Amino acid sequence: MAPTSASEDSLPVLKILLIGPSGAGKSALLLRYCEDQFDPESTTATIGIDFKMKKLAVRGKGYRLNIFDTAGQERFRTLSTSYYRGAHGVILVYDISNKKSFASMEKWVDEARLNANPEAVLYFVGTKLDKVAAGGRAVSFEEGKAFAEAQGAAGFCEVSSKTRENVKRPFVEVVDQIVQKPQLIAGAAPSAKAVNFDMGSLPSNPCSC
Amino acid sequence: MESLGEETWDVVISGTGLSQSLLALALSRSNKRIIHLDKNDFYGEHDAALSLQEADAWAQTYAGGGAAQQLDQPHSSTNGTEVPVAGPSGAANVDNSTTATPPSKEGSSIFRNAHMWKHSDAEAKGLSFPRAYSLALAPQIIHTRSELLSQLVSSKAYRQVEFLAVRPSFFIYCTTDTNGAMLARIPSSREDVFSARNIPPRSKRRLMTFLKFVIDYDSDEQKPVWQEKANKPLSEFLVDKFKFDDEDLRDSILALTLTLDEKITVEDGLAMIHRHISSMGLFGRGFCAVYPKWGGVSEIAQVGCRAGAVGGGIYMLDTEVSISEQGNGSEVTLNLSNKASIKTTAVVSSQQTCSAETHTIARLVAIINSPLDSLFDHLADHPKPAVTVIVFSMDPPIYAFVHSSDTGECPEGQSVIYMTMKATPQSSEALDGALECVLQVLESVPDEPEADVLYKLYYEQGTSAREPVVKSQGSATMFEFPSPSVGLAFDDTSLDAVKEAWKIIMNNEVPDDEFMKFEDREGMGDDDDDVSD
Repeated sequence: MAPTSASEDSLPVLKILLIGPSGAGKSALLLRYCEDQFDPESTTATIGIDFKMKKLAVRGKGYRLNIFDTAGQERFRTLSTSYYRGAHGVILVYDISNKKSFASMEKWVDEARLNANPEAVLYFVGTKLDKVAAGGRAVSFEEGKAFAEAQGAAGFCEVSSKTRENVKRPFVEVVDQIVQKPQLIAGAAPSAKAVNFDMGSLPSNPCSC
Repeated sequence: MESLGEETWDVVISGTGLSQSLLALALSRSNKRIIHLDKNDFYGEHDAALSLQEADAWAQTYAGGGAAQQLDQPHSSTNGTEVPVAGPSGAANVDNSTTATPPSKEGSSIFRNAHMWKHSDAEAKGLSFPRAYSLALAPQIIHTRSELLSQLVSSKAYRQVEFLAVRPSFFIYCTTDTNGAMLARIPSSREDVFSARNIPPRSKRRLMTFLKFVIDYDSDEQKPVWQEKANKPLSEFLVDKFKFDDEDLRDSILALTLTLDEKITVEDGLAMIHRHISSMGLFGRGFCAVYPKWGGVSEIAQVGCRAGAVGGGIYMLDTEVSISEQGNGSEVTLNLSNKASIKTTAVVSSQQTCSAETHTIARLVAIINSPLDSLFDHLADHPKPAVTVIVFSMDPPIYAFVHSSDTGECPEGQSVIYMTMKATPQSSEALDGALECVLQVLESVPDEPEADVLYKLYYEQGTSAREPVVKSQGSATMFEFPSPSVGLAFDDTSLDAVKEAWKIIMNNEVPDDEFMKFEDREGMGDDDDDVSD
């Protein structure tokens, strides 16, 4: 049972990152999952998306997912260490119709391992499953699955943001894995040590005195 | 190399220090076409936070006596104990006008004389893997009254930064005839003074009077008390006006200024003590300053860059930029070290060389294999401090900022101490000595385990001229920020240059008061919960 009386603000917040090479379809997956939108014309890096919020209940408990997009910083591999801070799950995305995209995954796993919390859940997603029908597959399901397993990932699946096939699955499975790690989920509550800025009380002009 | 297109960029920002990154944040909703790059392969430039591997390489680059140097050295891992290696010289300036600078103060690079030291048995004593550490080159505390915090709030960037409390009452290191050395608490509020046991009643009354005066020292009523003496030393003023004959008490008050110079003036000193005291309680009880988790303002710089990227800016690290010879009036052509060539109408960078008039400071960053818990005590209803300040009142004074592992700068069970003083020929030894004193005095505290120094990074840091340099090349603009202030608390005046650069680039398209004022970006998902069992 998802809590109903507690306000939604009190749901545990999980930070999920999308990473992977340019053009893999990270933003498309994010927009399809969070807003059920898909723009077949959009091929350029998405501007203006910091992260999207989505509520999800897994094993009878509600969570607030903050899903972060790379904001184009994957293009020259300039994602900052601060991007990875506090991430509970990292979804590594590649394009199954592009061998180069898949080949770059090893570098992305290394980067995630280097920067993210060692406990964070890693999950692999192959995108553009809709291209298979027209013979566009360049990376087999087995290759993807074997790679994910070899990397010790929590899971793997192939999706199509265009047809909606499987788009919810990576998020559900990542959250399902996260919530089974108590030491990881403990960080979902706001840190007791951090100063909680109550912004309502902030003077609009602190220098006025 | 991917193509960067043929169009002209509105701005090229070189360097990801705090000023440039705040500019990127300020421009992040402007729809300007921006390339932001850094010659280093890490964010933060002079404000960076370094892993141990990065710190080792950084120390090698800045080992020399201060010719302007490049940072784009390949990493080399070192297991030796002391590694001062002469760095190569070469101009780091965008305009290439300062090649072959002498190793004198003026014109030398911002950092110099860096060396690192590692305990010969560091790993056995607890030193963890290199990325478990994040050593801040700019470990300033930020007073809650700082304009920087207001800007982070109004721009919504604060949501990506975790702020930790600084212990409100500083410690002062003192030696007594009977007990040897000890750390005494510096009273910084009337409650502190009231409850202090080691201050005689007469001094308490004087302290109360002084604190009351400082609260509104800048009012028309109080100004006549100090204005004539504005440029006199604060210590003399404290004796003349407030009868602080007791040297210890005087030192305690001076320590609240966080000045690196014993001879701080009345005007500057009162402003700093006022900032300290009036910041108390602004964001909640029990602290007057905060520190960004994971390496100080380096984290704010990264968040600014992220905002720039979300706004469509292109980010490149490990990429040096130089101005190409040709220029056709309205734009400049830049050559990037990756062989790309780009055109822009504005270049923003930071000054890379020291000016003659400013102070140089010496810093020692030390990793300690003990949490030093007794330094982070706090009242039950106050946030746990992650940073504690210890002051050595000498001429010049030495400050030790002790960071707990809550800062994320070291693994649990360890701590990082940032020692700072005005540079002197003996500052390396002086800082080492003061570090020893801190550890020794803590050894006498019950329940404090023995503490060893595992790793040390020493360096000296100067400053450029304090004003930005603005030049035009045809109708194109070249803007250079001053290098970071070396003050121990964040200096709001550095924000003026960010706004100035923003105004130039926005070309008065938006009113000044919209600077750094943004709505939250996040888009909410649909409200239907997805349920999965």
